[in-house]
Amino acid sequence: MARYAMVIKTERCVGCQSCTVACKSEWDVPNGYARTRVPETGTSGTFPNLNTSFHVNQCNHCDRPTCVPACPSGATYQAEDGTVQIDRALCIGCGACVAACPYRARYIDPGAGKADKCDFCTPRREQGLAPACVLTCPGEAKVFGDLEDSSSDVYRLVYREGARRMVTNTVSIGPNVYYTGTPEHLEVQAASFAPVPPRTIAPGVIWGAIAKKLVLLAVGATFAGQAIAFFRQLAVGEKRFED
Amino acid sequence: MNAQPIPTHPIALTAEEATGMEQRNIKKHDVAIILLHWFNASVWLIELISGLALIVGAAYRVMPQWYTTMIASALGSRANVLRVHIAIGLTWIIVFLVYGVFGYRNYLRKEVLVNEIGLDQDDWQWLRIRVLLILNRTKEALPEQGSYNAGQKLFALLVYAALPVIAVTGIIMSFHLFETSVVAWAMLLHFLAVGMVVSGLMVHAYMGAVFPEERPAFFSMITGRVNELFAYKHHFKWWKQTKIEQRRWQQEFQSTTPSEPKSD
Repeated sequence: MARYAMVIKTERCVGCQSCTVACKSEWDVPNGYARTRVPETGTSGTFPNLNTSFHVNQCNHCDRPTCVPACPSGATYQAEDGTVQIDRALCIGCGACVAACPYRARYIDPGAGKADKCDFCTPRREQGLAPACVLTCPGEAKVFGDLEDSSSDVYRLVYREGARRMVTNTVSIGPNVYYTGTPEHLEVQAASFAPVPPRTIAPGVIWGAIAKKLVLLAVGATFAGQAIAFFRQLAVGEKRFED
Repeated sequence: MNAQPIPTHPIALTAEEATGMEQRNIKKHDVAIILLHWFNASVWLIELISGLALIVGAAYRVMPQWYTTMIASALGSRANVLRVHIAIGLTWIIVFLVYGVFGYRNYLRKEVLVNEIGLDQDDWQWLRIRVLLILNRTKEALPEQGSYNAGQKLFALLVYAALPVIAVTGIIMSFHLFETSVVAWAMLLHFLAVGMVVSGLMVHAYMGAVFPEERPAFFSMITGRVNELFAYKHHFKWWKQTKIEQRRWQQEFQSTTPSEPKSD
């Protein structure tokens, strides 16, 4: 089985947003939202030693995704190829996954009222095509492939040339988007776009801490009470005549 | 014409009186209510089975994975489980809206509801003694009850409170209405409201179907009728009210029936 990954060569990215446009156009992403985007890192350092870079942000298709257990309806799931997908038929649009994503890669599509994000271009992959952003990138800064295939470019970049995951000491969930570039580039990106700790929506917190326990307790206590009453009824038997 | 006065409080019955009363039935439920009850029961069964199979997120699930997988397999896919859940839920809402419109005058006016499910002093006493009786901790007699006993009334109040919550939150989730956070809160409220009703529903089903003393009440949801002895012993206030109305009807019936003309 394949294990898909993407490598972003930040040293080749010029921030032209071609990938953003290609993705939005391919998947009719609504205005104000994006499945992939290229924000600037801003400037760091002191003159004359200044530094800046572009960061490519999208779903990282993590090995241990926090969005999957956070989704109440199971609409978000991990496919056999390791990619994280959304079954839109099951999504109710509660936003639990949006809060749970450390990479801020998800949004609720305002038209459909359902979660959306990069799916590594599943329909295109099924036709044997590369993801739209990869194909469009004029600087060939995006490389997509299978980490199980030792002859692939991503395999070489990840396992032999030291492409790095964007993780922190506290948030390390096995993202499958890797980055190459100068240490300065990667450092300035990490400063602004490092993953944030996943959040749980307030109703989700109450569900786990109170609601589930309360319901199980109420149903359980009722059941136990009835079991006692029933066994008593068994022991006593029923009257043949009303008195 | 029965000239015996209607007792104001339950009096001891002779065996003959009791047997006679047990053989006479009085009307308890209209056909519309019986149909609505069993429609409602079927919907609850389907919605509970499918609903429990829809909560699959690790942080939320209440049923084991084999259960959710089994239900999804039975219906083809998890998306189908959701489709069934929504379709049946919306049908349920429409049926209850129709009931609300056409049944308002007969079943839902304030006076009717207060009379049928409002709790009085006797009801609170009844609740206390009923529980102690089941636990075999008292010999007290149960206070007189109306057409529904205090337990049934409490359950009805819980259902009346939960029903709009379940319906509205269900609609919000089905159509992804309002802000994302509203959908999220709707999900929690839907679960809580259903959970509370289910714990009451278990008592309701047990009392109706298993508990021997309430068995005639179960059959009244099929035939629409209860025997007079059951009404007398379990719902005395209602029995008395029914008897008074029956007497009045009999008198009116007699006064409007022309006497037979004398033949020459």
